[in-house]
Amino acid sequence: MSSTANISTRTPDQLGASRAKAADNSTGKTPGPHRSKHRRLWWTTLAVGVVAVIVNVPWFNALIVSFKSDGDISRGALALGHPTTDHYANSLGAAGYDFPRFFLNSGMIALGAVALVLLIAVPSTYAAIRLGFGGRFIMNASSALRLLPAIFFAVPYFLLMSNLGLLDTVPGLILANTFLNLPLAIILLGAGFRDVPIELEEAAQVDGASTYRILYSVLLPILAPTLVAVSVLVFIFSWNDYLFALVLSSSNATPITLGAANFVTSTGIRWGDISAATVLSTLPPVLFAVFAQRFLVSGLSAGAVKG
Amino acid sequence: MAATTASRGAAAKWVLGSPLILFAAIFVAYPVYQGIQTGFFGLSLQNPEVPFTGLSNFTTVLTDPGFLAAARFTILFALAVTALETVLGFGLALLMNRQFPGKRVFFTMLLVPIMIAPALMGVMFRLLLNGDIGLVPALLHGVGIDISLFAPDTVVPLLVLLDVLQWTPFTFLIIYAGLQSFPTDVLEAAQIDGAGWWRTLGSVVLPIMRPIIFAAVFLRLIDAIRTFDVIYVLTAGGPGTKTTTMSIYIYKTAFESGQFGMAAAASTIVMIALVPFVPLLVKRIVHPGRGAA
Repeated sequence: MSSTANISTRTPDQLGASRAKAADNSTGKTPGPHRSKHRRLWWTTLAVGVVAVIVNVPWFNALIVSFKSDGDISRGALALGHPTTDHYANSLGAAGYDFPRFFLNSGMIALGAVALVLLIAVPSTYAAIRLGFGGRFIMNASSALRLLPAIFFAVPYFLLMSNLGLLDTVPGLILANTFLNLPLAIILLGAGFRDVPIELEEAAQVDGASTYRILYSVLLPILAPTLVAVSVLVFIFSWNDYLFALVLSSSNATPITLGAANFVTSTGIRWGDISAATVLSTLPPVLFAVFAQRFLVSGLSAGAVKG
Repeated sequence: MAATTASRGAAAKWVLGSPLILFAAIFVAYPVYQGIQTGFFGLSLQNPEVPFTGLSNFTTVLTDPGFLAAARFTILFALAVTALETVLGFGLALLMNRQFPGKRVFFTMLLVPIMIAPALMGVMFRLLLNGDIGLVPALLHGVGIDISLFAPDTVVPLLVLLDVLQWTPFTFLIIYAGLQSFPTDVLEAAQIDGAGWWRTLGSVVLPIMRPIIFAAVFLRLIDAIRTFDVIYVLTAGGPGTKTTTMSIYIYKTAFESGQFGMAAAASTIVMIALVPFVPLLVKRIVHPGRGAA
């Protein structure tokens, strides 16, 4: 975990450094290689900065529109006037939209999925890695499931949830998102359990601890960073789900992704209000990107490489 | 699984594994069975009688021009965006692989598009590209270009561009994370041997990074093949059926036309087409060896 934890701050600087050194070696004629290196770093800042801004233009644009008055919005994208917070008040309930309920649904679905994924994945992955439960099959099936397109499960899940009476309910969407995220959780936890030295468990066993006790008191504290990474990723992916929300919910359990998209496809769009609602609904994932970055990076890259 | 301690937990493994068994039986195995089985029946919202129709759904789907067009669009779209995003992501990873002022802030900013829900990205794209109030048409108008971005001949390049905008950060992240575990001594050796920057890149970095790049390509390809959210929110598969992906085709067949049997048959065909890749990918991605870990 620690090897990937703070990727952004670590400075191996490999290719860049070797490039700089190679340049230093070959530039005996040009005076002041130090200054040229310095200048190149600022060019890097500029180039990366431009890319970092461009990929976030949609979000910045929505942020700006969300603070413009309806009149300023209708005068065109380049017209700026006095900023207003009306749209945030509207989307949080003042205008009678359903957005507060959509936010609540998204939150319950995402938290429910995190809890259920951990409840299922932690004990069974431990059993699979250390106790021989299912052998390799569980790890391989998890990888395979992650590769199959989610749309395959749209029709069967619709039929299943309607048979169970869980269509358009929060528990139904919690179950669907648990299904969607379980493979990733098992893959990440599998890598985590494998990295714990088995001597720790053997020592605990000699001390008379039961298997359950070892899992709960010895392994879970050690695996806390992995558990956080899994929780953050499952929360974000569940919060972001759209396809299963579209298939399985119609009004009561609608999460914010579906609510916002429906709003924008309907006629007479209130762009200011929808922008405010959209910015608000991107906040949890964006805040995670800022404050839980090391968990995201380690989880995403480990999940990518290992699963 | 050499670490298995068979001496303890013969019963415990079933106790600990039972939640997964229960969940997998109801919410994985049964839906897979039902997904395949439904394809053999004429199940639809209009027809609750459910007659057995054998392979007729499958032959209908395979001869449907709409399905074939969706398959073609999906594959070409996925190949185009994956190629672009891999090249750009790799370049960005090389660029970021040194210390420079502002690195931490930009790194965080590059993560943001990956975190945002594709459906909400679709909403924000609509706002950005809106003909009346959008920033992009306004800027284009400012330099004298007045085109309809969603017209039949511009919509496909537009969707490719938007996908590149959102997902290049993902390929960047995977490749960048891989670069962090790159063996430095190999680079020094190449340098001592007098290899230039391009030579080092081609003969040393790329071969060692191959598993990582393969992982990035493969993950993007898989996600691009199942693209649904952004395109559905932006164009709903139109104009006409021009931007209908496989996922949109299946969704519309099931939930707009109400033909569950047809949709399930199409899903099964897509799954069968992807299944041969699974063992290869499980092997290469899950156990890529030390170099990629």
